[in-house]
Amino acid sequence: MKIVALAAVGITASLALTACGGSSSSDSGKSASGPKTGTIRLWLNGPDTPQSIVDYATAEFAKENPGSKVVFERQQWTGIVAKLTTALSSSSSPDVVELGNTDAQAFEAAGALKDLTADKAALGGDDLVQSLVDSGSFDGKFYGAPYYGGARVVIYRKDLFKKAGITATPTSTQEFVDDGIKLAQKNAATKDFSGIYLAGKDWYPSLPFIWDNGGDIATRTGGKWTGQLSSPGSITGLNVVKTIMDKASKAPKDGDGTKDYVAFCNNQVGMLMGPGWKVGQIIAKDGGCPKMADKIGAFALPGKTPGSLAPAFLGGSNIAISAKTKYPALSLSLLKIMTGDGYQKQMAALGLLPAKKSLLADVKGDSSVQAQAKAATNTRFTPESPNWAGVEASSTLPDMFVGIAKGKDVTAQAKTADAAIEAALNR
Amino acid sequence: MTTESISPPGRTAAPAPESSSAASVRASRASWRPGGTRAGAIAANVTGVLVIVLMAFPVYWMVNTSFQRGIDITGPHPKFLPLGTLDNYRKVFHQGAFLDAMRNSLAVTLMTVVAALFLALLAAVALARFRFRGRGSFIVAVLVIQMVPLSALIIPLFKVMDSWQLINSVFGLALVYLVFVLPFTIWTLRGFVAGVPVELEEAAMVDGCSRFRAFRSITFPLMAPGLIATGTFAFIQAWNEFLFALVLMNRPAKQTLPVWLQTFNEGAKGTDWGGVMAGSTLISIPVIIFFLVVQSRMSEGLMAGAVKG
Amino acid sequence: MTAQPLSPPRVPPAPVVARRRRHRGTVILPYALIAPAILVLGLVLGYPLVKLVLLSLQKFGLAQQFGTPAPFVGFDNYQQILTDPELYTVLVRTLAFCAVTVVLTMALGSLLALLAQRIHRFIRVTLLTMLLLVWAMPPVSSTVVWQWMFDSQYGVVNWLLTKLGADFQDHSWLDTQFSFFTVATLVVVWMGIPFVTFTVFAGLTQVPVEVLEAAQLDGANGFQRMRHVIVPFLKPVLLILTTLSVLWNFQIFNQIYVLQRAGGISRDTNLLGVYAYQVSIGQNRFDVGGAIAVVMVLLTLLLTGVYLRQMAKQEDQ
Repeated sequence: MKIVALAAVGITASLALTACGGSSSSDSGKSASGPKTGTIRLWLNGPDTPQSIVDYATAEFAKENPGSKVVFERQQWTGIVAKLTTALSSSSSPDVVELGNTDAQAFEAAGALKDLTADKAALGGDDLVQSLVDSGSFDGKFYGAPYYGGARVVIYRKDLFKKAGITATPTSTQEFVDDGIKLAQKNAATKDFSGIYLAGKDWYPSLPFIWDNGGDIATRTGGKWTGQLSSPGSITGLNVVKTIMDKASKAPKDGDGTKDYVAFCNNQVGMLMGPGWKVGQIIAKDGGCPKMADKIGAFALPGKTPGSLAPAFLGGSNIAISAKTKYPALSLSLLKIMTGDGYQKQMAALGLLPAKKSLLADVKGDSSVQAQAKAATNTRFTPESPNWAGVEASSTLPDMFVGIAKGKDVTAQAKTADAAIEAALNR
Repeated sequence: MTTESISPPGRTAAPAPESSSAASVRASRASWRPGGTRAGAIAANVTGVLVIVLMAFPVYWMVNTSFQRGIDITGPHPKFLPLGTLDNYRKVFHQGAFLDAMRNSLAVTLMTVVAALFLALLAAVALARFRFRGRGSFIVAVLVIQMVPLSALIIPLFKVMDSWQLINSVFGLALVYLVFVLPFTIWTLRGFVAGVPVELEEAAMVDGCSRFRAFRSITFPLMAPGLIATGTFAFIQAWNEFLFALVLMNRPAKQTLPVWLQTFNEGAKGTDWGGVMAGSTLISIPVIIFFLVVQSRMSEGLMAGAVKG
Repeated sequence: MTAQPLSPPRVPPAPVVARRRRHRGTVILPYALIAPAILVLGLVLGYPLVKLVLLSLQKFGLAQQFGTPAPFVGFDNYQQILTDPELYTVLVRTLAFCAVTVVLTMALGSLLALLAQRIHRFIRVTLLTMLLLVWAMPPVSSTVVWQWMFDSQYGVVNWLLTKLGADFQDHSWLDTQFSFFTVATLVVVWMGIPFVTFTVFAGLTQVPVEVLEAAQLDGANGFQRMRHVIVPFLKPVLLILTTLSVLWNFQIFNQIYVLQRAGGISRDTNLLGVYAYQVSIGQNRFDVGGAIAVVMVLLTLLLTGVYLRQMAKQEDQ
């Protein structure tokens, strides 16, 4: 009996303590703009933003807000959703946070972020890249400013092209696939050579083929989502993917694609589809093959119609203010600096796609950066639903592509994926 | 519970005074070796070596890879001798956060182990030596707690810690780890305390010792192996835990080693194998040190039988 | 009520039970001893456990986490989980995996502990240190190493097997369900053995020598000594280890999650831990997460129920 009594005391105490010191529900965000000076916390994820650029921002911030400063805390991408879920709702929430564009919708819908609709013009207005504005908006309101973007491009071996007699980079999907098959045939003697390296679980590079043929992942009519992977356009695109996987790629059928640079350095790749930083990874001293630098070229993935571009998937991040920030004005000040020209031009110099359309011309760098800038003119995105995270968590799309890679019926795989996507998005 | 044991002659009487000391009982138990043929011994030793090689292969592979260059790690021919490069270790140290993470991990883990062993020992003594109402339900409740998948508790547990201002606090994380390891440590230590016959304590008390003194000089040394096993368990649980450390210590300055290690394994860019392996090797070292220090201090401990042979 | 010091059940009962004078101190002493543990557990876990059950009865997603009110929906979340056909497929897979891994871990771990008693001192120290290294290896590291060893293109296992003559070039170990779970079993058992071995080895040191010697004198061989002396004395330790192994392997998440990202089709290789993550935390559905946690506790209670009942009854005697 004493045990039960003691336990009851413990639980009551813990409940009481929680109630007393507990965090209250979110503020309306329309309260006063906060104290004039203070220290705000900035969260940026992964190694994507170098320290030098962050230093620039903190210095600018200190100039514009004397007496205040920015504390920068670099976070990992791993588990960032769990971290943001807990931190943004806690009593010591970070003030300015970076959100991957696929995660942003869920937090916007939940009320975790400050409404920035009134400040949109000051942050860049119509000059902001539309796709990132879309991921940063929910229900007509604007929450997450575009931060930077990235699109996939085709990275290829110039010398292998020459050896195979390919004189110009492909200008249509058909040429692209044919070139891939040609490379595979000419280099069949090399173990596991891929004309086009396409691993099973790497689904981002395959999306352009679906979109280019009029298909999509899912569309919403009224309030209901319908899976579109088994639509005729999508099936056409999936069959292109199947052709590539069957005839041009020797990448592991259930691989995740992260070792593509290893294969590239081992002379096992003619072409691969990768994000802007992929070339950097290939020629990195640590783990890469710097000697291959002058053999590498890049171009934007061509579309069906000769001379056109296939719609590219735009990855990227939004940057937002926590709804629970104690320093809304200071946070907004930092946000303006980060979407400002000075900051964004430095991002562009690194080869990242800046948040503003007017700065796209400033993107400098090697051929892959130029190709990326070109690809960025025609981008698409995954279904804009707060429930999209669930589809990604269940690995629905990777499972479908691995099935296709292993030779299973394309339509059947697409239908299974559609059912799963509809169940998740319509929840 | 019935035991099918062969009833031993003379076991039930209190041991004769000259052999009643804990040390000699301990020593006689620990140094007992099964009889057997020479061939049997050789077979056992050979098996032992084989087991070492098989079980240790992934560990050897980890250490070996940590000394290889990037291109050799992903090259067509695996290299088996760790003679490649020290660059991975240089990189790990230069990264800067390593020493901070080590400090945080050490603080959290040591707090957890000390608190867990202390609280669990008290509870174990109560459970093993006393009969009281509610004993059974307490044990079952403790085990039921163990059944809850901990990841489901992240959100509410974060809220509790936040309300006590214990986020990004070494003490807060240690508290969380404490409650995670308590159920198992209580339960196991109870078994070990129960494994020391109460007659030994009673004999000492007949000789004039207080209850506490009898426990400290007789029972405590005899259940030492249990303390080492459970202490090591608690240490490793706290040392290697990832999820709660990631969420509860969200400021980089406060992160623990497992979270720090994950930076070398960031999804999209693939794994920096050399870095992960070098980091992992470094992380494993304090555990070994802890174990060796603890067991050498408790000289009648786990290895006593091993050393005395 | 008298709190009588009780001889531990494993030892054959003494013919005379020592009688103790009733002290007030002795009566409250056991409660005082367990009080700190209860206090800590209650304070830290009290609210979260209650909240977990509450969550399972509400609609609680990311919006509710940030302040939107959470309506009570009764058993809707449970209904959602229990009417999902995938749950049952996953459950059967998990039970099978659990059974195989627990049996292997307990058997191999205990055998190693017995072996450790019989070998030369130097080999024993090396063995135990090696097991400790295995145990101490951070989960991130062990999953990366195992994944890397079994990598279809760059793994050392394929390389070795090919060198030995079999054609394992580019063989994908995570491709089929059977192969995937073989690798997973290997990893989980390997990671679980040290804990069992250390605890059983510690337990072995408490087996009374006199009994073993008497048995030896009576002519019992090693196997008989094991069966009639060692196992009965180790029974509590073995039972708790088995129960814990069942609990942990039932919930296993990390190894499966990492291996799934490296290869295979997730749908075919989901176990309960990963499935629970996918339908709950992975989608920010904390209500479903709470319901699944409750369901898992109930399932685990079912699995270990017999042992628990016996334990509770025995302790209250």
